[in-house]
Amino acid sequence: MRGQRQRAALLGLLAIVWVLPALAGRSRALPGAPAPDFVLRAFTGPNVRLSEHIGQVVVISFWGPGCDGCRAQLRALQRDFDRDRARGLRVYGVEVADDQEAALRFARAMHVTFPLLRDPAKSVARLYDVDNLPMTVLIDRDGKIRRVVRDFTATSRRACEDELRTLLAQ
Amino acid sequence: MPEVPSPPARRPAGGCLTAQAALLGVLAAIAPSAAVFAQSAAPAPVEQQVQSLKSDVLDLNRDLFVLEQELLYPANTQVAVFVAMDAGTFFSLDSVQLKIDGKEVADYLYTPREVHALVQGGVQRLYVGNLKAGKHELVAFFTGKGPHDRDYTRGATLDFQKSIGAKYLELTITDDQSKLQPRFRIQDWE
Repeated sequence: MRGQRQRAALLGLLAIVWVLPALAGRSRALPGAPAPDFVLRAFTGPNVRLSEHIGQVVVISFWGPGCDGCRAQLRALQRDFDRDRARGLRVYGVEVADDQEAALRFARAMHVTFPLLRDPAKSVARLYDVDNLPMTVLIDRDGKIRRVVRDFTATSRRACEDELRTLLAQ
Repeated sequence: MPEVPSPPARRPAGGCLTAQAALLGVLAAIAPSAAVFAQSAAPAPVEQQVQSLKSDVLDLNRDLFVLEQELLYPANTQVAVFVAMDAGTFFSLDSVQLKIDGKEVADYLYTPREVHALVQGGVQRLYVGNLKAGKHELVAFFTGKGPHDRDYTRGATLDFQKSIGAKYLELTITDDQSKLQPRFRIQDWE
């Protein structure tokens, strides 16, 4: 009996040591947390590894081919990219699609000048807990997530622009 | 007279004590670092203290890394695979997939910066793992752009003998000037 209780106490302690950090690790795409690293192929152009962009402000926009909000979001990000590229802004669009052909058609039709990345296994979408499209993640020059926006509205767009201004000024 | 059961409250206390002891252990482990912070209020300039602390943290991190590697990959079972590139005129590396005994153990995607580092003479440790002694097979698939910017995939295979002691293998990509083609080799570092 005593042994069982001790074992239970030990298991409880192990749970604190291992399970809680694991649960904390689930919410990785939270503001303030380091942005999870990834490497992906682009639809056109070279492969991209996030950790190579420490020192720059990075925007990751998750998009899907059947999503009108994504289209508007990527166009808005193209304007940001054109304006602030020289100040260290990097923008990456990451596809979240079941149909790779549709994703390719969408990518070709968008005519954006920043890289659109392929993620057929949706590994990066899982890493960032993508639960809505479009979803945009703003990452500061230290590689930390500063804002996660899970829609595209006039309000969220303004908030994004304000945050970008702050991040680029740092 | 009815038998008096032993007081149940004492037994959970034993469990609690175990947990408390463990917690105290954790606190004891943390305490020295708190003491270091307390001592750092001494006369040395703050910047110097910060630099010293950073240096200590880096040393500790290095020691922990070495310890972790020794524990995870003991020398008698360790197998490490490295990638090196010589020239690279006829091949632009995109990815390397590695299989040992038919099981995929690594699939690495390269960025231009990483390829540049390899071309400059860098050597990448692509995989480190454990294998028991005996015969094994390593298969590496290289994908990228070959001559005339065409998609290019090639494989290389090596049967090797793992004995007691660490085994180091190297995947090398070189230019074959006579055939104007890339050449892929796997070398066993004896």
